[in-house]
Amino acid sequence: MRWLRRRFPALLMARRNIGRTKVRSVLAALGIVIGVIAIASLGMFGLTLRYQITENLGDIGNQVTVQPAEDNSAVFRTISEREVREVRRIAGSSASVVPIQQMSLPISFDRGPPSGRFVLGVESPGTVYEARAGTIPENFRSGVLVGATIAEENDLNPGSSILVNGSTTRVRAVLAPGDSVGFLQSESAIVVPSTTFDRRGYSEVVIETENSQTANETAMALREELNQRRDRFSVSDNSQIADQIGQTFQALNLFLIGIGSISLLVAGVSILNVMLMSTVERRQEIGVLRAVGFQKLDVLKIMLSEAVLLGIVGGLIGAGFSILAGMVLNHYVIGDATLVLRPGNFLYIGLAFAFGVGTSLLSGLYPAWKAANERPVEALRS
Amino acid sequence: MAVIETRNAVKRYRTGGETLEALKGIDFAVEPGEFVSIMGPSGSGKTTLLNLLGLLDDPSEGQVLLDGEDVTGLTDSEQTAARKRTIGFVFQNFYLIPTLTAKENVEVPALFDHDPSVEERSVDLLERMGLGDRLDHKPDELSGGQKQRVAIARSLINEPRVLLADEPTGNLDRDTGRKILDEFVDITERDVAVIAVTHDELVNEYVDRTVRLVDGLMGEDAPATGRSPDPTPSPEADAVGSTDDGLTGSDRP
Repeated sequence: MRWLRRRFPALLMARRNIGRTKVRSVLAALGIVIGVIAIASLGMFGLTLRYQITENLGDIGNQVTVQPAEDNSAVFRTISEREVREVRRIAGSSASVVPIQQMSLPISFDRGPPSGRFVLGVESPGTVYEARAGTIPENFRSGVLVGATIAEENDLNPGSSILVNGSTTRVRAVLAPGDSVGFLQSESAIVVPSTTFDRRGYSEVVIETENSQTANETAMALREELNQRRDRFSVSDNSQIADQIGQTFQALNLFLIGIGSISLLVAGVSILNVMLMSTVERRQEIGVLRAVGFQKLDVLKIMLSEAVLLGIVGGLIGAGFSILAGMVLNHYVIGDATLVLRPGNFLYIGLAFAFGVGTSLLSGLYPAWKAANERPVEALRS
Repeated sequence: MAVIETRNAVKRYRTGGETLEALKGIDFAVEPGEFVSIMGPSGSGKTTLLNLLGLLDDPSEGQVLLDGEDVTGLTDSEQTAARKRTIGFVFQNFYLIPTLTAKENVEVPALFDHDPSVEERSVDLLERMGLGDRLDHKPDELSGGQKQRVAIARSLINEPRVLLADEPTGNLDRDTGRKILDEFVDITERDVAVIAVTHDELVNEYVDRTVRLVDGLMGEDAPATGRSPDPTPSPEADAVGSTDDGLTGSDRP
């Protein structure tokens, strides 16, 4: 403190002056507090919303689906092993390629009468699914994986048994919600080893890439190379939709922050007002300072320090409340208050704090300039 | 050599369409260690002269010299620096900063100097003024005389050559006024010139000489003792001291 005073003497004067009109200073800082909370929490709100939506959408943006093109022939075409190898080659080593078989099999839960349901045959489900309960075996040769909705409806747990195609099969894992393969949500999926299917050929191939951009590139490469001579496959990817969702949220966030900034603007006006009143009230005092040898710049420094001090105090309190608000927001929207500690949130809090201090500085400029340029002889004439 | 001097200083103010001549050619000089009072009725130009001497204002014509050096026409920042180096101010209303303690108030003129000896100097000055036990009191915890002594200590912190006092006893009772004037006499003994603008006849008991201003003209230089001054001197009264040029009255012998 002592060092600070020696180093920045203007701060001493500024701090004492702020203390002189406590209520007024508190109100001016309160404006900044509210502005900072508004910007930070609206920014965090947008981020939380985006986080929640992308969680719900799962990884669709990273996925490319290859399906046989529909032609006019009545034959139900499948994708051959050779074609899958071709897809693997085009997608490159960084992408995981999951060929999927699909057919309707009679399934019976809880010893009831079997009914036909679509099941997926997946060789290595561990690459596309995550387990909510139980484990997905590395080498999937027996058993069945069920989606969360099916598990809940039929009261299934890892270890329960269901009838698949007439034979009793053990449930190995319940799939975590959120993931999806192609256009099939995991919630209602029933996954069996591909050895269950006696026929060759796959109904679709799902390629998971690192991000939506590589998904897009892979999809383009696949379209070009697989369909060189004729349209054998339809390749679909959601990367554009995912990008658009991202961009929409970016715009939404900017809009929300814009609304928050208006409150900071109001706070800035109130600081301007407080500082102007202060310069008028302290006209003679500033005149004395000039008379005893303070340069214009020194007076400017004192007045600006006052404004910035108000901004820093308001900004810090505002940032504190913003973290609290973010915890409440994350608790109710996502259900985990600690998610407020995501780096993106701190970006918004930092941004709001910087905006708050910046606003105070800007609002202080005119009153400080006015005080510094008052001629001491005029100021001292009482 | 005079520490501070005006040569044919004229100051005009433009108010509305009229031009008011507040000082009509003042020649005035003060030697180091001299105690001079400037007296005169309201509107005679006393404060204007003090502002010129304090480099707070520029004359319309003529010169102000500080240690023989012409300081008219300097930039604001140069004048401020010269003021800080050479001149101390004491005001009628003390003008202490209410949020600072006595010690901090004394340190104010040196606040931006980053000089570690300032604190020691301010404590010394306050002890010299008999305020050693009031160092950490705020101005509203001090009496008028104590405030004025803090103000004097403040004016001395940068070791000025000249101390300008505007009605230094104006807000003080007679006894306290005497104590303050004793302080001024002490200060002049350290070779600091003190110039006091005042209405208070009491001051004249302490000064080396009195200068009278009437309507922007300097009337006379009278010794402080041996004469009972007229509180509102007329031009004739002014003419008594300086025989031949009472009306244009700008020359000192």
